[in-house]
Amino acid sequence: MVSSSRLGRAAAIGGAILATLVFLFPVIYMASISFKLPRDIFTVPPRWFSELTFDNYTSYFHQARILPRMVNTVIVAAGSAIISMVAGAMAGYALTRLRMRGAGVMAGLILASRAVPPIALVVPMFLVARRLGLTDQYITVILAYVTFLVPYVVWLMRAFFRGLPKELEEAAMLDGCSRFGAFFRIIVPCSLPGLISTMIYCIILAWEELLFALILTNDRAVTIPVAIAGIAADTENGGLWGPLAAVGVLTVLPVVIFALAVQKYLVKGLADGATKG
Amino acid sequence: MSAVRTSSSRVGASGPTRGSGGPPRARKVRLGEPGTAWLFLTPAIVLLAGMLLYPIIYTVWVSFSDFDLSTFQPGDWIGLKNYEAVIHDPGFLQSLKVTGIYLVIALPVQLILGFAIAFLLNVEWRGRGVLRALFLIPMVVAPVVAGGVWRMLLDPLWGVVNYALGLVGIGPIEWIGDPTLAMVSLILIDSWRWTPFIVLVASAGIMALPSDVYEAARSDGASRWQTLRHVTLPLLVPVIAAAFVVRWLGAVKMFDIALAATKGGPGQATDVVNLYIYEKGFRGLEFGSASSMATIVLIITMIITFFLFRLSRYLENRW
Repeated sequence: MVSSSRLGRAAAIGGAILATLVFLFPVIYMASISFKLPRDIFTVPPRWFSELTFDNYTSYFHQARILPRMVNTVIVAAGSAIISMVAGAMAGYALTRLRMRGAGVMAGLILASRAVPPIALVVPMFLVARRLGLTDQYITVILAYVTFLVPYVVWLMRAFFRGLPKELEEAAMLDGCSRFGAFFRIIVPCSLPGLISTMIYCIILAWEELLFALILTNDRAVTIPVAIAGIAADTENGGLWGPLAAVGVLTVLPVVIFALAVQKYLVKGLADGATKG
Repeated sequence: MSAVRTSSSRVGASGPTRGSGGPPRARKVRLGEPGTAWLFLTPAIVLLAGMLLYPIIYTVWVSFSDFDLSTFQPGDWIGLKNYEAVIHDPGFLQSLKVTGIYLVIALPVQLILGFAIAFLLNVEWRGRGVLRALFLIPMVVAPVVAGGVWRMLLDPLWGVVNYALGLVGIGPIEWIGDPTLAMVSLILIDSWRWTPFIVLVASAGIMALPSDVYEAARSDGASRWQTLRHVTLPLLVPVIAAAFVVRWLGAVKMFDIALAATKGGPGQATDVVNLYIYEKGFRGLEFGSASSMATIVLIITMIITFFLFRLSRYLENRW
């Protein structure tokens, strides 16, 4: 009996390791391709150990203007995340803690907007931005991203605020704090883990967004996903696997480091949001 | 939920008695603060009204008009003409069908795989934390990168997948070139990218399960399988429902993986509706029909989401 359960345990651990390796393989493969010369990429059987090259990271980067596009993406992701956090956290707080008529309806509307497919927004965004001469500018992309980030923040932060004891701000307000004071001095510092995980998730979502960026940018404000879509579309002639892998590594790396560094918050925030939402 | 509801009504009923020590009215007004509530809500409402509500109304308007490409503005009101054209457009109907197939297969696959892996990852040992952390990585790979990398992996000539299959005598397989296999590939890539998310949510749910129930089951002599079927799964129903809804909200937006991996092809085999509308609007410049298709998709999505929310809420309360 004991040995059979021990066997089951070993099998489960083996399965877990195997599943993790299978899921990690594409990322490892991408990293290895990014350091290879074309002649070592396009071979059968695949060469695992070959001459190392940084060509994919250097030669193509200038031509595709990867660095400025990286900067664009950082600006757009940070900008949209900050705006969405402020607006979304305040709204999430009002909907969980403040008594008001129509709170249920408002919450329902904001949460329902999570289900709006971006494709239903892109035609007007494009037309209006074009008429106002705002295409290809950071602010346009940032405001477009707010449409899917704000509902997300409201949803995650609502779950978080619900878990905070009411006595917190009641005590602050008895001491003469206004509601705003209580929110910014007491609630915000107490919800820092939730705020951080939500913010990180917002940055990741904005960092990898493609559809809005594809439509609203064409030169100066082009983001990395758009550039990658361009390189991926070019692989038809077979040449660009190395550069594609290299750009892929550079987009994934910061996020992985970021996510692993704050993994604890990220997991808790997301899991709470999904299960308590 | 019924328990929660009674407890909240009890709190409401006991409110005035508790507050009778001081002036109850004043206290209520202070806690109520409808004005402050709206102030807190203003930024979100302004942003969503301007960037979400207004574009939706605009889309509906364009969908009822004859779009004028010379001025780049909606022209004359033409009633349902765009809609008539769109519902007779075989390409649109095909893209709806493709999206349906993708959703019906991909979501259950990801849910089952995600919960199964979460159970494996839940076994306690020294490496558990590391595996959990590593398992997060595909989640932060941008979908467009995922599509590109998998295109390489599945390449019929140079791809590692076909090479590995060749070693055991299978293949070569036209992953992207064959209509059916292209859909399989799309679901495979999407599942690679999204199963870790389900694992994350499922792990949190599994860890939150009460342990005393298991002790009871064990003392009753339930086998591992019986425990899973009759104890664990019923307890996890709300988590499964919640994970499904969240995944659904993401999956209906499917666009970038399809664009990067298959471009909707071959033919229209993986042409999900978002991709089709995008091509119609921004390559074909048919903004009128693109808007009517977008409106139809919006309505379908809202209706299904509404029912899924209701179902999820119902399951949450029942179990």
